[in-house]
Amino acid sequence: MKSVVTTVVTAADAAGRFPSQNDLEAVQGNIQRAAARLEAAEKLAAGLDAVTREAGDACFNKYSYLKQPGEAGDSQVKVDKCYRDLGHYLRLINYCLVVGGTGPLDEWGIAGAREVYRSLGLPTGPYVEALTYTRDRACAPRDMSPQALNEFKSYLDYVINALS
Amino acid sequence: MLDAFSRSVVSADAKTAPVGGSDLASLRAYVQNGNKRLDAVNAITSNASCIVSDAVTGMICENTGLIQAGGNCYPNRRMAACLRDGEIILRYISYALLAGDASVLDDRCLNGLKETYIALGVPTQSAARAVAIMKASATAHIGETNTPALGGKRFRKMETTQGDCSALVAEAGSYFDRVIGAVS
Repeated sequence: MKSVVTTVVTAADAAGRFPSQNDLEAVQGNIQRAAARLEAAEKLAAGLDAVTREAGDACFNKYSYLKQPGEAGDSQVKVDKCYRDLGHYLRLINYCLVVGGTGPLDEWGIAGAREVYRSLGLPTGPYVEALTYTRDRACAPRDMSPQALNEFKSYLDYVINALS
Repeated sequence: MLDAFSRSVVSADAKTAPVGGSDLASLRAYVQNGNKRLDAVNAITSNASCIVSDAVTGMICENTGLIQAGGNCYPNRRMAACLRDGEIILRYISYALLAGDASVLDDRCLNGLKETYIALGVPTQSAARAVAIMKASATAHIGETNTPALGGKRFRKMETTQGDCSALVAEAGSYFDRVIGAVS
């Protein structure tokens, strides 16, 4: 799993040297910024179910045709799966906030997503709509501090860009 | 390879749950003690050659047969290999201490080490003893428990802020114990 510390250690190991001052500085910089992202991770974990529900509702409100026969959400089972997937994306964002990099999203969310959605005939537009709604709905200081919100939104943007 | 952060992510993913609550509390502790941890890594890396050569010297002093003809540190070529291995082990321990997780030590250093030593005829007892001396020396550097009386003319004190480093000393000690457990 890629993070600042593992990147630094991998580089030092490839060169066969002890962690240098530069390596320690890099880790320290990461640690100093950690408070904001850990706050965002905590708030997101606490409200994960509510955020997922709101995001899913937003996308089915905008694309109400999705629930018509023959569309991607024509049965409750399929609708539930859409909410589940949104929950997965938000959970992976929580992981990214913990690690401090896009590793979890890259490895467990985005890699292969395009192929899966194509083969299942699923539109990615509704996911983008749901996550965009979450991004625009989140605000500081009601939900979290401005720095934490900034971290959270940057990962939401990352997923949105990957899906659109 | 994992660090403290990705370790909690991987275990949370196995439960399909977000990272929150007590997991975050332990990560906050890592962040809060971040500077102490960096000082600890620095204490090891700055004194690495001293820690390694003292450990190998101590191991030989306790068992002088090692440097007599037929011993495993005779001739210089094998002595050099011994010093090199000591440094490699200490290096991976410094990585583990920086990451706050033993996976890098396990995956890249300890996996297969005992089998290699047995195949090469390296006495694992002596290797374990050298690691034990490195543990004593490194933890003394991290906790700054060394005194001029013990250190003699080689006494050295790192210029760091004074504080309670017992948790880091214990963590570093556990990595050395892991190596000892893996080779013996």
